[in-house]
Amino acid sequence: MLKALRLRLRALFDRSGTERDLDDELRFHIEQEAARHARAGLPAEEALRRARIAFGSMESAREAHRDQRGSRGVEDVLADVRYAARALWRDRALAVAGIVTLALGIGATTAVFSAVDAVMLRELPFREPSRLVQIWVENPDRGWHKNVVAPANYLDWRDRAGAFEGVAAYTDYQATVTLLGRDEPTLLTAAYTTGNFLGVLGVRPQQGRGFEPGDEWDNGQRPVIISDRVWRTHFGADPGVVGQSMSLGGSRPWQIVGVMPAGFSLPSPGTDVWMPMLWRPDQREAVSFRRAHWLRVVARMQPGVTPTQANASLQTVVRQLQAEYPATNTRMGAGITPLHEWIIGDTRMPLLVLLSAAGLLLLIACANVGSLLLVHALGRSRDVSLRFALGATRGRVARQAVTESLVLSGLGGIAGLAIGWAGAKALMAMQPAGMLPITEIAVDVRVFLFALALTTLSGLAFGMAPAVMATRQSPANALNSASRTVTSRPIRRWGRWLVMGEVALAVTLTIGAGLLLRSFERLSRQPAGFDPEGVLTASLSIPGTRYATPASVKDFYQQLVERAGALPGVELAAAVRALPVTEPSWSSSFAVRGRPPMEQAADVLHREVLGPYFQVMRVPLVAGRTFAASDRDGAAQVVVINDAMARQYFPGEDPIGQQITYDRVPDSTSVWRTVIGVVGSERQGGLAMPARPEIFAHFFQDETSRMHLVMRAESRTDPAALAQPVRRLVRDLDSLLALNSLRPMTEVHAHATSRERFTSVLVLVFAITGVLLALVGVFGVLAQLVQARWREMGIRLALGAQPSDVRGLIAGHGARLLIPGIAAGVLVALATTRVLGSLLYEIRPTDWATYVIVALLVALTGMFAAWLPAWRAGRANPVSTLRAD
Amino acid sequence: MAFPPPSSDVLRGTLDLLVLKTLTLEPMHGWGISQRMQQMSRSVLDVHQGSLYPALQRLEQKELVEAEWRTTDNNRRARYYRLTAKGRRALGEETQSWRRYVAAVEDILAAT
Repeated sequence: MLKALRLRLRALFDRSGTERDLDDELRFHIEQEAARHARAGLPAEEALRRARIAFGSMESAREAHRDQRGSRGVEDVLADVRYAARALWRDRALAVAGIVTLALGIGATTAVFSAVDAVMLRELPFREPSRLVQIWVENPDRGWHKNVVAPANYLDWRDRAGAFEGVAAYTDYQATVTLLGRDEPTLLTAAYTTGNFLGVLGVRPQQGRGFEPGDEWDNGQRPVIISDRVWRTHFGADPGVVGQSMSLGGSRPWQIVGVMPAGFSLPSPGTDVWMPMLWRPDQREAVSFRRAHWLRVVARMQPGVTPTQANASLQTVVRQLQAEYPATNTRMGAGITPLHEWIIGDTRMPLLVLLSAAGLLLLIACANVGSLLLVHALGRSRDVSLRFALGATRGRVARQAVTESLVLSGLGGIAGLAIGWAGAKALMAMQPAGMLPITEIAVDVRVFLFALALTTLSGLAFGMAPAVMATRQSPANALNSASRTVTSRPIRRWGRWLVMGEVALAVTLTIGAGLLLRSFERLSRQPAGFDPEGVLTASLSIPGTRYATPASVKDFYQQLVERAGALPGVELAAAVRALPVTEPSWSSSFAVRGRPPMEQAADVLHREVLGPYFQVMRVPLVAGRTFAASDRDGAAQVVVINDAMARQYFPGEDPIGQQITYDRVPDSTSVWRTVIGVVGSERQGGLAMPARPEIFAHFFQDETSRMHLVMRAESRTDPAALAQPVRRLVRDLDSLLALNSLRPMTEVHAHATSRERFTSVLVLVFAITGVLLALVGVFGVLAQLVQARWREMGIRLALGAQPSDVRGLIAGHGARLLIPGIAAGVLVALATTRVLGSLLYEIRPTDWATYVIVALLVALTGMFAAWLPAWRAGRANPVSTLRAD
Repeated sequence: MAFPPPSSDVLRGTLDLLVLKTLTLEPMHGWGISQRMQQMSRSVLDVHQGSLYPALQRLEQKELVEAEWRTTDNNRRARYYRLTAKGRRALGEETQSWRRYVAAVEDILAAT
């Protein structure tokens, strides 16, 4: 056995040695045979001649021997690969175009598929994640759907709904705490949870035990769980961190009871610390506990319970609560969503669109490589015919062609994998903060196999076609050079179909990209109701433990705004509860004095402002006045409303002087506030949503610990240059405060459309690549056509045709590729862009302008690609072309 | 009318068997083997080199024969083949099965 292997290996690696032995042996045979003839009396020369004749062809003897050696298969494959490499090297430009094409198609698909895999296909990293659901509330009166939950309702669901094994609550709004005593004061993103949060999810901390059920009630303990990132950056990955205490700005230290594993991303990938709710038992029966909605609720269904059964069990409790608490729950419904679907949320559509775009690009790439290889095969048709004529079998020639395409797609696949890997990293790095609910994208084995399957399949798909075409040729025909163009007609027709398909796909993709881009453009041009230019923003939050009294909070912010306004380069400074086009702040119902309570509870937004906020943001004053220094605490309560509210609730009357309260049904304890002014409407929750009715109160009459500082820079000052002075100012005021996210307002404004920009720019990049590939295809087919009909061009010119006639002929071929391709692309787009509907803002999927612009652009660039070969055809020199063959 | 050629496996197997048989007496070179086979078969079988050398290669790979370069009586370098122990065993078994095969074919031919 070993010896046999040695022989084969020797045959493979010591080819010249093995061949020499064989030659010696065969020569010996002939000499012996000749000697025999000589002994029989023949002259030496005649003896040798007879021996040779008897022996037959030396080469076929060698060949038979080689076949027997058993290394033939491997040798052939190696020879095929070598030959393919040589053939591709001869056709370098084409090979590079093919590899680049494949790499782009495969790379884009791999990168996007990695993201889709990480976000949508992979199971959530929780125990039996299919049993986890999100529970939300809805209220038709207030326009709520999938809304946050009031604590008292959560507690009742948890205690009464039998279909759930456990129900936990957590917060997903941006809460912050300040980490003190370690380097600089640092703002950490905090989430508040119930004690059973990790138990319901079925996740264990990587260290420590986490919270105990019941920890949501304040029992004097201050347990906290930290993220892997905080553990590494602020505690030096200390293995003994559990049990240590940390200062979060309050009067009491917090005990670290756990470190979450890296990658745990609920409520968000950026959560730094998880803290218990710390409700006081006396809150349980307070009406605010059922009126204020601010919790997210996740539940684990009992084993074997379906979501439908779980929902039925929930609805029973919802109806009980509607009956028991008519004041708050009359119209309060609830529903469930599987947790995975909930977390994917809005990311689903953009990712699917990106995946389709990448898929289209891959199809274009495959068609393009197919047409390039056809051009390549046509250029070699005489070579192939020669091989047939010399006795190569069809299978052998087909195998050679397939090897060539496999070598190409292998190289393209490797490059594509590299691009895919880099692309996935780039996708993660460039995504708008928090868009993808994951902490990293890894190109894992599954994605790698996906890319590999794509390379192999596309290699076979476009490799097989030329291979089959090549074997169909009869050697005699192909060798007869005059009939070259005739025999290759079916191949050329196939090549035209490929390129037309490519053009069609590129047009479809570009129309999709155009629609997304126009939608993004409309969205970002949408008047937001304020002027973001020249404004710097900073968010900060002061700890309630050190600023325990309303007076201390007011005093702090009063000083901050005054001193910020006095900084050099600052024209005006103010503070506001929430920035526009981010997340709206709180909302409530309201009532107008002298009117009966509204039948449907209204839902209006609230913000508190301090200082000349409207001037800083250049929000116009529509009527009345804004706040003055006299509107302090103790003075009459006054509010400013936006004109969306004035139009909706005071149509045809003057809102100034009207009195409103935040209670739906006013009683003797209601606080009445007088409307003193109407301002323009800012869009509160992003640019896509129209401005909602909103009430502004003076900060001094409704203080809050968390505010955003907004400063308008003087006209010649860059707002970003104000960052350092503001940091210094805050440190002077309170050295234990951390200033978070200093951002120009323009950046906040841009962030509001960052998802749309991300998606549309990425699809546009795919589309441009797709169009370029299609143009390469058009160019390739026409260049080949010119080459094949070079003689004909020469003859035409010799017979008196003008170069312009010849150019027109080729350009006409180009138009016959482009026009049907573009038309087909437009039709496909008409049929398919409807899926973009929910991503498009104020633009219809059939927006004709986009279609016309894209069709014209592709036609123009396509004619340019066709013009180059046409121009060359017009320069065919009659004499030299006729001499060429 | 042409008969389809017998399956090449049978032919190959037969040639292998004959080569092994030829080598039982002494180590021989390729030409010698072909001459000997022609002699022994009273010139009925003329083994062409195109089959002989691949057969020798095949047998060497199966480790039924060994080959080495030696000098002939008249001082020429030639490749000599020798039966291995494994080859000798294989010859015994193959001879048995060949005889059974021939007998079976003969029975059928005789019966018709």
